[in-house]
Amino acid sequence: MTLEQFAVFVGSSLRLATPLLFGATGEIVSEKAGVLNMSVEGMMLTAAFGGAYGSLVSGSAAVGLVIGIVSVVPVALLQAFLSNTLRVNQIVSGIGINILALGATTLAYREIFGARSSQLVDGFSTWVPPLLGQIPVIGRPIFEQVWIFYLAVALFVLVALGLKYTALGLALRAVGVDPKAANHAGISVTLVRYGAVTFAGLCSALGGVFISLGNIHTFTEGMTSGAGYLAITAVIFGNWRVWRMVGACLLFGAATALQFQLSPLGIEVPTAFLIMLPYVLAFVAVTGLVGRQTPPAALTLPFHAGK
Amino acid sequence: MAVAEIAGPAPETESRHAPAGSMLVLECVAKRFGRVQALSDISLNIKSGAVHCLLGENGAGKSTLCNLVFGVHQPDAGTMLFDGKPHAPQGPADALRAGIAMVHQHFSLVPDMTVTENVLLGRTRGLLDRKAWAARIQTLSDEYGLAVDPSALVGDLSVGERQRIEIIKCMIENPRLIILDEPTAVLLPEEIAKLMSVCRSLAARGCAIVLVTHKLAEIKQVADTVTVLRQGRTVATSAEPAKDIQRLVSAMVQRDLASLDVALAGTLGVSEDAAEADDGIREPSLPRGQEAMQLDALTVRDASGVLRVDEVTLTVDRGEIVGVAGVEGNGQTEIGLVLAGLLKPTSGRVFVGGTEATSKSPREITAMGVGIVPEDRHALACISSMSLAENMCLNRLDSFCRFGLLLRGQMEREAAALMTQFDVRADGPRTPFSSLSGGNQQKAVLARELTTDRLLFLLAAQPTRGLDVGAVEAVYKSIGKTCEAGVGVLLISSELDELIAVAHRIVVLYRGRIIGERRALPKFRHDIGMLMAGQQP
Amino acid sequence: MSANAISPAGPSMWQSLIRNEIAVAFAAVLGALIVGLLLIVMIGVPLSDAIGAFLDGAVGSGYAIAASINRAAVFAAVGLGFIFANQANLTNVGGEGQIAMGGIAAAAVALKTPVADLPVGLAFMVPMLAAVIAGAVWGGICGVLKVKVGTNEVISSLLLTFIGIWLLYWSVQSTDLLRQPMTNTATLPETLEIPDATKLPALLDVAGPLNIGLVFVVFLAVIIQLALHQGVLGLRLRAAGLNELASRRAGIPYDRYVVLAMAVAGGFGGFAGAIMLQGDQYVLKDGFTSGYGFDGLVVGLLARGSSIGVVLGALFFGFLRSGGINMEMTAQVPSAVVVIIQGLVIIAIAASGYWLSRNEGKR
Repeated sequence: MTLEQFAVFVGSSLRLATPLLFGATGEIVSEKAGVLNMSVEGMMLTAAFGGAYGSLVSGSAAVGLVIGIVSVVPVALLQAFLSNTLRVNQIVSGIGINILALGATTLAYREIFGARSSQLVDGFSTWVPPLLGQIPVIGRPIFEQVWIFYLAVALFVLVALGLKYTALGLALRAVGVDPKAANHAGISVTLVRYGAVTFAGLCSALGGVFISLGNIHTFTEGMTSGAGYLAITAVIFGNWRVWRMVGACLLFGAATALQFQLSPLGIEVPTAFLIMLPYVLAFVAVTGLVGRQTPPAALTLPFHAGK
Repeated sequence: MAVAEIAGPAPETESRHAPAGSMLVLECVAKRFGRVQALSDISLNIKSGAVHCLLGENGAGKSTLCNLVFGVHQPDAGTMLFDGKPHAPQGPADALRAGIAMVHQHFSLVPDMTVTENVLLGRTRGLLDRKAWAARIQTLSDEYGLAVDPSALVGDLSVGERQRIEIIKCMIENPRLIILDEPTAVLLPEEIAKLMSVCRSLAARGCAIVLVTHKLAEIKQVADTVTVLRQGRTVATSAEPAKDIQRLVSAMVQRDLASLDVALAGTLGVSEDAAEADDGIREPSLPRGQEAMQLDALTVRDASGVLRVDEVTLTVDRGEIVGVAGVEGNGQTEIGLVLAGLLKPTSGRVFVGGTEATSKSPREITAMGVGIVPEDRHALACISSMSLAENMCLNRLDSFCRFGLLLRGQMEREAAALMTQFDVRADGPRTPFSSLSGGNQQKAVLARELTTDRLLFLLAAQPTRGLDVGAVEAVYKSIGKTCEAGVGVLLISSELDELIAVAHRIVVLYRGRIIGERRALPKFRHDIGMLMAGQQP
Repeated sequence: MSANAISPAGPSMWQSLIRNEIAVAFAAVLGALIVGLLLIVMIGVPLSDAIGAFLDGAVGSGYAIAASINRAAVFAAVGLGFIFANQANLTNVGGEGQIAMGGIAAAAVALKTPVADLPVGLAFMVPMLAAVIAGAVWGGICGVLKVKVGTNEVISSLLLTFIGIWLLYWSVQSTDLLRQPMTNTATLPETLEIPDATKLPALLDVAGPLNIGLVFVVFLAVIIQLALHQGVLGLRLRAAGLNELASRRAGIPYDRYVVLAMAVAGGFGGFAGAIMLQGDQYVLKDGFTSGYGFDGLVVGLLARGSSIGVVLGALFFGFLRSGGINMEMTAQVPSAVVVIIQGLVIIAIAASGYWLSRNEGKR
């Protein structure tokens, strides 16, 4: 493999990892606060459609981005309401929302895009950072990405720093480990968890909008195809630590990129195996073969104020 | 700072430096939870610069009252005034802002965060300034003699150390009212004395202190005024508690101090009065030499490799009650888990009735005649959402099934019989276990364990914790009867008075090792207290 | 806290609860259906056309009814497995993947072994057995992981679903595996049709494909109901799910029960795959699972532990699906409407659990 081919591979990995990075960053915040948000898939799909729709009617990807984010807000609030106020089984509510989102986006897609299926809409432009892009040979293939990718990078850096160095981060972590103690310290557990789930929604929205407007520039039914679940898996694989989660996302992105990389190299691997690879890797992760898992102690446990 | 008096009444001459105004006033406060009226018609007047004790047995409503003041719950009726202004906190945040701080019975500390982070929690905004706060913590720590290490991980600290952090957390905001809910339950005798002196110095600075307890000994040491609660009502108050002990006791448990037997008096912390006379030596009911249970060099390391039980060798004879003294966290939990068959020891052996029982399954151990009343019944002994009958029969379901189908009628009849025999009060064998009171739950667990086939050995860990006097009495009676019937009993308790009153001899567990043994006589109380702290007398 | 008041004896707690639960389930389903109807109106299809097409597809002919019931049998199988595992507080979301593995196993045995030569009964039972075993292994892995490593079974079963689906895809891609011999480049990636002897016998001589899968399912439903609610097994599973330590102390072999619960759930999923292959589709291809595993999951969630609930829910969704398919073909109503209804039902019933538990507290 030449250096250039490798650089292209790295660039593809980053591109394919982008929705995962968004989804996982939001999910790690939610899970650290104790809420297992299974509806990442549904939120991403909603935003993917919202973004495509917004771009279709306005002709601008920027508007699409805004519409995509806005469309996820009610979904995130619904998930927060179900998990925190009604204290529904968090897995059930997540799956329910995913199914609902699939149906709703498919229906809306048929009705709105209908006869014009696979119509292209205005998508995001790419951006190359000044110095990095000028590195000979590998600069452009690796660093020329849809600009929203760099937003993802900024986002997970901010989250990592915020969790460690701010009062909000401390409160969030406390809520996920011992909500009773946090409550006695005067922190509103409900408010923090609502905020965490909403944040997860916003991140998923960005990931979803990337999927429709980032590369393909259109919407297809169920186009997230498991990216949301992979994001959740990345959080688990990363043992609920931001940097390890980022590594997991990149790893999964690389596994998917391999699909397109191996045949040019003349290596014959069944497509099915390559598509399966991220899930297999994730599965190996959860078997604990890569180390003990230490989730936040109060994860999936609803909080009742006053015992 | 001088170590305060260990015994003797609090001198009334210790005057307040701040003007003695009313800090907290409650009028006709009531609170109900579902069907239970936890508090009714509570009226209190708490002055600043004084230590006010809330006295009452377990279940009287003391914690509920504190939670109302601190905003964890809201009252159904009545009014509260704090510093002259209406006080109706919707949550702890409101109470904290008003200047009220609380040390809960079950600590509100996050184990995987450091001391500093725990103190910071909820008290700051924006970026965390760990260094500045660590310095503040250190200052307070030095000032009050409460040794803490700001950078330590809370999960690594002992119970006593954690309580110090809770107190510092309270004081760091200069509150005007501090509530301490049963703070001494987890402390060594010397730590209790230290805590009392801290309370006095805080009061001297003008703070109002509310100390919740069911121990009369503490009242004598530190209280300026006392309010007694019984079944959710105020039944007595006293402005000279040291002189009023008799009246307070009878208000608290509706009995004469003199009529309380030694064991019960022990749980109320007045056994010095009741039992000083009793120097008689108690002997086990059977002749020596018939082993009920033996631990041989038992060693347990936890998942992270920390030594929890260190070469413990211990024999309990049939008909003997051996007490294990020691504050929580010194290996008692692990020993209990090993005896229940739920934890494999790292090394060492366990024998029941002379037969080896190491690493046997819980089922096999029960078949060998072992009964366990664990320190946390909800974790180990019962399943709260199942019915009483299901819980009582859970470990012998095979005798209640035919062709794989349950014989519920039979189960319920058996449960009802046990309920009568052991005076377990409930709406019937089908009621959910969780709806029983704490005392009845414990009686139910005892009922099941004491009727184990061919019972040879009983482990009772903290069996009377959280129980009202009536239930405590029932527990002691059951243990006494079973001991007389020839069962060997290992009684683990952090209440020294209880052990002295009930056991025949006491071993002291410290950091997983048995560091001393004494006969269970009042004259050895001091020695045992020192051993509990790790010091040889 | 000492109980200061005794509750008055009211209607048996269990009676009120059941009445409430069914009423609530009804209300949720009704609400979702109404939303569905509103959506149909919104997209401009005349309600009468839509409802007409729906009814036609669901119950319009013997064939339609038979097809609906066949579908319902599959959902019920997955749902029964779900409630079994759920008794021990385990949530099996891997139905789809277990169906896939069951389908692969049944197809492999039916096509690649001389099982068709066996006497009549065995010819179709052996592939079924293979499917059950394959599904049980697929589910049992999750149980083992939970016990040994503490892995959340939702995550592990979900991941295995994706892996299972892609394994199915893989198995029909290569002629070395299960793909039919490629006569030319246009040969579809699917298996040959399974031999007649391995197909499930028809149940009635209706003009329809009603097969004996239904009989098996009804039989299993009865067994599960007995086992869970009257049996010692059910009580022990429940204990294990509520409190691991206490149940261990009571002598319940917790580890074995967790693995058993997940294996049984998986086995049911495999069984569902078998009756799909041998009773309906006869050919294994990509997309074989058709989302039936998730439908079965929904049925299981809604049933709240009762076999009867599973059967009723399965029938509801079976007819719903058939009606939905016909609505799309005849009245141009996208089947996505049915998906939306499904999602709403799940959320509504889950949310209703809140109201139920609130009422419980007040009693």
